[in-house]
Amino acid sequence: MKKQMYLPVAAVLLGIVAAQKTATPIPIGVSVAQTSNTALLGKEQVIGAQIAEEFYNGRGGINGTAFKLFFEDTGGDEAGAINAFQTQINKNRVVAIVGPTLSQQAFAADKIADAAKVPVIGPSNTARGIPQIGDFVARVSAPVAIVAPNSVRAALKINPSMKKAAVFYAQNDAFATSETGTFQETAKAQGLEVVTVQKFQTTDSDFTSQVSAALALKPDLAIVSGLAADGGNLVKQLRIAGYKGVIIGGNGLNTANMFPVCQQYCDGVLIAQAYAPTAPGALNAAFRTVYKNKYRKEPPQFTAQAFTAVQVIVEALRTLDKKSKVADMELADLRIKLNAQILIGKYNTPLGEITFDKEGEVQQKNFYVAQIKMNPDGKTGSFEFLK
Amino acid sequence: MDTFFSTYGFLMVQMMLQALLGLSLYFPMMAGQLSLASPGFYALGGYIAAVISTKVVVTQGMYPFHLLLLEILLGAMASGVLALLVGIPALRLKGIYLALATIAFVEILRVVSLNLDITGGAVGIFGIPQPFANPLSYALLVLPLLILVAWFAARLERSRVGRAFTAIREDELAADAMGINPTYYKVLAFVIGAMVAGGIGAISAHFLNTWNARQGTFDAAINVLAYVLIGGSRTFWGAIVGGFALTALPEILRPLGDLRLIVNGLLLVIGAIYLPQGLIRPAWLAALGKRKVALVQPKGEL
Amino acid sequence: MELGTFIQSLLNGLSIGSVYAIFALGYTLIFSILGIINFAHGAVFTLGAYFTYFLIGGVNNGTGVLTNLGLPFGLPFVLATLLGSLLAGGVGVILDRMAFRPLRARGADPLLALVLSLGLALLLVNLAQYLIGAEILSFPSNVYGDWLPPAINFGSTENPIPVRGVQIIIFTVSMFVVVILTLLINRTKIGKALRAVAENATTANLLGISTERFILFTFFLSGFLGGLAGTLVATSFSISGPYFGVTYGLKGLAVIVLGGLGDIPGAVVGGLVIGLAEAFVPGDFSAYKEAVAFALLFVILLVRPQGLLGRKVIQKV
Repeated sequence: MKKQMYLPVAAVLLGIVAAQKTATPIPIGVSVAQTSNTALLGKEQVIGAQIAEEFYNGRGGINGTAFKLFFEDTGGDEAGAINAFQTQINKNRVVAIVGPTLSQQAFAADKIADAAKVPVIGPSNTARGIPQIGDFVARVSAPVAIVAPNSVRAALKINPSMKKAAVFYAQNDAFATSETGTFQETAKAQGLEVVTVQKFQTTDSDFTSQVSAALALKPDLAIVSGLAADGGNLVKQLRIAGYKGVIIGGNGLNTANMFPVCQQYCDGVLIAQAYAPTAPGALNAAFRTVYKNKYRKEPPQFTAQAFTAVQVIVEALRTLDKKSKVADMELADLRIKLNAQILIGKYNTPLGEITFDKEGEVQQKNFYVAQIKMNPDGKTGSFEFLK
Repeated sequence: MDTFFSTYGFLMVQMMLQALLGLSLYFPMMAGQLSLASPGFYALGGYIAAVISTKVVVTQGMYPFHLLLLEILLGAMASGVLALLVGIPALRLKGIYLALATIAFVEILRVVSLNLDITGGAVGIFGIPQPFANPLSYALLVLPLLILVAWFAARLERSRVGRAFTAIREDELAADAMGINPTYYKVLAFVIGAMVAGGIGAISAHFLNTWNARQGTFDAAINVLAYVLIGGSRTFWGAIVGGFALTALPEILRPLGDLRLIVNGLLLVIGAIYLPQGLIRPAWLAALGKRKVALVQPKGEL
Repeated sequence: MELGTFIQSLLNGLSIGSVYAIFALGYTLIFSILGIINFAHGAVFTLGAYFTYFLIGGVNNGTGVLTNLGLPFGLPFVLATLLGSLLAGGVGVILDRMAFRPLRARGADPLLALVLSLGLALLLVNLAQYLIGAEILSFPSNVYGDWLPPAINFGSTENPIPVRGVQIIIFTVSMFVVVILTLLINRTKIGKALRAVAENATTANLLGISTERFILFTFFLSGFLGGLAGTLVATSFSISGPYFGVTYGLKGLAVIVLGGLGDIPGAVVGGLVIGLAEAFVPGDFSAYKEAVAFALLFVILLVRPQGLLGRKVIQKV
């Protein structure tokens, strides 16, 4: 009995893993925030992954072999993400993991997957340094430095005489803090003066003091980096306070969840997008239709990116499977080969065409700038393409 | 079996770390002081370790164990000094007022760490090097540490200092009249707790691979308090058992999927109602004949 | 400081302060009677907003189990708010009957009520997330009717000082509520009994006051006020998801301590003071705005632990 206890502990401590075969249907892990106040984003990701599962299994799965998604909730914290990843890796024995939701969680959990040689695809981690966590870490979410500048250029096209920019950002949000840096650099590079930088928290809802401090300086451009609820309230309060200039919303505001918050005041906001629902392409059209039929609104970026992450894994598995049946491969071996295949593949996704560089950073061909058009009811609206 | 250890290795060490955090809150409670400052010191210790191991010392491969020990020591010392500075004015407060002052302290530290450059703002510090091959191996350090701190708590409960703590908890005025200096002992208990929390933070920064302002929050403070109360606040065993149980609970409930936190909340409610003394009561331990425990009933402080 | 800037900061402070105040009223009420901090108050606040949202005929655009569902009818906003707040009061009653009362009956450590309320908050928030979803729900922007302008300008056209209409409503309602509550507690029989229970439950019992009934009433009132506050704040900012109210819990604590734990007018004063303190933080230090409430709390606790309006001796349980 005692020996039976000690041996496995010793094996784990020494990192010895017994050879295991891959299960069928092929298990793929999805670990995002299904609970906690990050769940607003995580739930969108769950839906995207579920649509991908149904969509690709309906089209033959992995060349005739079905695959199955395992959802393990990470909650909103780092320890939760690690626990979820451990469950995926060791208990569900997945071939790859999609997740986690937040960059901070990725810094904690991706390291675990990398050490276990399990490929991870980040669906929404945009902070600097994510693909560099390890060889097995890649992401489909383009980093902020690439997405954000487009919208500043678009704003200057609308109003070339702009001079003064007021910048707002959520200082407790990792994405917003790095995005605002890019926005400020771009604004300065384009000859704008950044007259004020106002900070807030994603949990804030009243922005009267930030708004009045900024408006006192009479800016003609306002740049907001935050999430849907806080960003939406800020936009609304800016407009109600009488601000007439152009508003740029960061990528965190690229969701229809913002519409009910700022309602008619969302109208005209420029948003830099890594995903546009109206983007061309047959796959995006199919994805968009499935989503719209079920939820009666446009698919958000997080949903499209989660779909894409699953798609990348599925297509890489299909390519591998053509060389040798993945269902017959040993799990550890498959994970390593799958990782290599993910990085060299080229994917036609709802986000447009993407590839990865050798570190696992996404190389996305198209970015979009959209302008929000609200419907007369003031509750629904759409992202209209610019250019 | 090895699946079990590889799946739950991280969780097991996390349970031990949380139990230690529970103990860090238990020390001031021994002297009747309801302090919720532990997550603040925990965050401080973590930042010290994260800064040292990513910015001060550059190492290749496995992080040297002696440096980790040094970080733990520094984390504990810095927390101890800060606790002294905060504790001397704050410990004049009683009951709920002290609890709120310590919550305020935790929040102020959180906002400061969000704004400093050295702490990495909202993203925090990442890529913290690993002193162990895998999460379970941390048990080689954390388990002895847990035993050591628990042993210290057990000794303390029966020592002269421990009796002074109990006397203050029971009746501060009477203790004062008996020649016990309440301020001295209250600050002492507070500093001991802070040092434990700071040291644990240093380990956790490595254990989680990353450190940020979300580690030391109001929510964390309340969770640690729940460890002690659900476990039982009258013996150090309570903090340990409570820390184990409440850390493991969400993972045990994982198969419930979307319902797991609903059930988790329900179990907390049921636990509070049906185990009002906590999971571990001194009377049980005494009945087991394992150790002598003071069977005094501390009066509520809230 | 320029006069215009001063007035703007003053109005800003009053407007956010009244949100803190209206949250804190139900919070402090429970404390005044039971001497416990009820973390579930934030959850009840959220539930109240959800109730009203559905009662005016709102459809759930969340992705929870009840996705795309709504009631087949819609009530006028005022009626829905009243009914939604009553339902939230009902939740308060259920919480007391099912959880807090059994705990009291067992003579548990009062601190345990804190853990109990934490468990209840976890339960309610995640139940809401399971049923409704994590998505944002919003009231129509003209929910008060078209007579209420989005903003009223207190300055000149040259130097505008805009204040949102909804904020004025929240401010007015919180003032109104505090007057009614103060009258209720100081001038009525119920109030006398409540104060007796708050002073000493055992003695009150001996005097023939049915303590349990008044505690139950307090939970109802606290839930009702929480639901009302949740609805009003939601009309101003939208319901940001099941954690909507919980995020006010921490700052609410600062508010009720500042005003003097358990003191009703104190909760309003505390809310306004914190709102004003935040509004007057100079722009260069806006990053530290979040810490102002707590720095203030820390200092006030050391200097004047009974709070701004509190009586000298507060002995709770």
